[in-house]
Amino acid sequence: MLIIDKDVCIGCGNCESACPFGAITIVDGCAVVGDGCTLCGTCVETCDPGALKIEGAEKSAPLDLASWSGVWVYCEFRRGALAPVSLELLGIGRRLADTRNVPLSAVLIGSETGETARQLIAHGADTVYRIDDPALAHFTDEAYGAIMTALIQQNKPEIVLAGATAIGRSFIPGVATTLGAGLTADCTQLAIREEDGALLQTRPAFGGNIMATIVCPNSRPQMSTVRPKVMQALTFDGERQGNIVEVKPMPEQLATRVRVIESVVSEEDNVNIQESDILVAGGRGLDSAKGFTLMRELAESLGGAIAATRAVVDAGWIGYPHQVGQTGKTVAPKLYIACGISGAVQHVAGMQSAETIVAINRDKDAPIFDVADFGLVGDLFEIVPKLLTQIEERRKS
Amino acid sequence: MKIIVCIKQVPDAKDVRLDPKTNTLAREGVQSIMNPYDQHAVEEAVRLKELLGGEVTVLSMGPPQAEEVLRQAISCGADHAVLVSDRAFAGADTWATSYTLAKAVNVIGAFDLLLCGKQAIDGDTAQVGPGLAMRLQIPYVTCVQKVRQATDSGLVLERMMDDGYDVLALDYPALLTMVKDINEPRVPSLKGKMRAKKLEIRKLTAADIGADPACIGLPGSPTQVVKVFPPEARCQRAVFTGSLDEQIGQLVDSLQPYL
Repeated sequence: MLIIDKDVCIGCGNCESACPFGAITIVDGCAVVGDGCTLCGTCVETCDPGALKIEGAEKSAPLDLASWSGVWVYCEFRRGALAPVSLELLGIGRRLADTRNVPLSAVLIGSETGETARQLIAHGADTVYRIDDPALAHFTDEAYGAIMTALIQQNKPEIVLAGATAIGRSFIPGVATTLGAGLTADCTQLAIREEDGALLQTRPAFGGNIMATIVCPNSRPQMSTVRPKVMQALTFDGERQGNIVEVKPMPEQLATRVRVIESVVSEEDNVNIQESDILVAGGRGLDSAKGFTLMRELAESLGGAIAATRAVVDAGWIGYPHQVGQTGKTVAPKLYIACGISGAVQHVAGMQSAETIVAINRDKDAPIFDVADFGLVGDLFEIVPKLLTQIEERRKS
Repeated sequence: MKIIVCIKQVPDAKDVRLDPKTNTLAREGVQSIMNPYDQHAVEEAVRLKELLGGEVTVLSMGPPQAEEVLRQAISCGADHAVLVSDRAFAGADTWATSYTLAKAVNVIGAFDLLLCGKQAIDGDTAQVGPGLAMRLQIPYVTCVQKVRQATDSGLVLERMMDDGYDVLALDYPALLTMVKDINEPRVPSLKGKMRAKKLEIRKLTAADIGADPACIGLPGSPTQVVKVFPPEARCQRAVFTGSLDEQIGQLVDSLQPYL
């Protein structure tokens, strides 16, 4: 808990204003901690006299941390294809492994994976653990989780990364719980701390209003799910050498209590908006479901997919898989074009890590312009068709 | 049918804002609400109860004021409410939280279904649901978008995937996490509100659930926050000038790398 040394505290209020959770108040010239304290430690750094201390944070480290070595990446394979985030993970994984001077391994679970293992080596893996079995054609938390858990227990990697996808964010938390390992969700930055080689995992919290850097000081492996589109994949190098280790799944690992009846691919194209480089997003300013026809034209022209705000999904103009924001998906495309979107914090939380944001809105005071790199004030029904024409002209010239 | 729903009290996102001067979260007027995904979990539990009979218990881990969201769940049709609250829980990450909730569930007793929201909007981890299921050694399904069929022995569900959805069947007991597409939460009835006001909330401490002090709160958390800082400011907004056509031309110039 947070210990406040009353004799040392000068009641300056630095901690009160620094606390992201509003848990500290100055009462009669001395700091007092309330129930909201999450022991994040922000206040400790701001206290000049050194009156604050977090107790219990320093545990004696188990002795065998050093016996865990190597960086692992879970490479997601579904319906005969590798999830693009897998290659991004190999890119960052390679960097981490080189910094730590350890090998990088990939775990490939699925059925009929063909040449995928070779592809993973060409993108940076030294070793690929391949678990290829017809019973693994469909994803289940139980089978994938049991296999992953057993592999980690046998080989003891120090770091395990997975994509922050529907699959990664479902079964990896189960694996981490069984292993007693620390897991950080939806990381956007990963680095190695120089002093002790610990993995520094940085992620947005409170809808992207604050960033938090997290470590796992006393447990191994250090596990993270990583947001798609944030990390850089290495270029394909067919000359790269690596080895493939075949692993046979145990019958008990394949016995699952949840039965997959069928796996349905959405009839609409590009519902996986997290993997799209370009997103054209529509909000209430589209006036009706028909407004998305124009959005689709723009998306088609740019080779992008369609995103939407909560308001228009709730109005039934477009399906929930397209919703970006706090109760929808978090996306990080290269280009995000927001049309008729006011920019409520709940929406901005889901798209502010886009590389470039364009806003088109009638209201010049709309908050979306605060996060936009480029803004156009005006009627989207006038602007978007003109934009389409100019893009076509530019391409021809 | 015995259903337990785990819910969390969170700050309302629309109020959470960074103070540009101090780079800390502005707290003035921040309202606490029931995590939006959890509202869908409560609603689905009440619907299943109405269909199959039984009772719904809502469970929350949090400070004493988390009582408010438990009462809200009661007003929307839940029958019992349990609050696990102890200063020793402070600083818990998802691993320690799933441990604490699992201990509390064991005190509540036998159940058929455990429901959670997909994730809480303050932490956005989506890790507590799966962790809780592993600790209780029951199967789990995340991101449930539809209950197709519900009987006394099990369920047929649709689970949202990145490229579509999977149709799954399972028997009780099991844990499900819900996305908002699953239902439209009801507005509390007057009768429900009256009941919520009067209902006694069962309170459990760390000792009541028999928690190992090494597994709860900060000491029980494998992950630790070492730094909290504001996100990098986005680059300055470019201002276009001239007629609308000229402005669009400048935008197309700027978008050249993406064309």
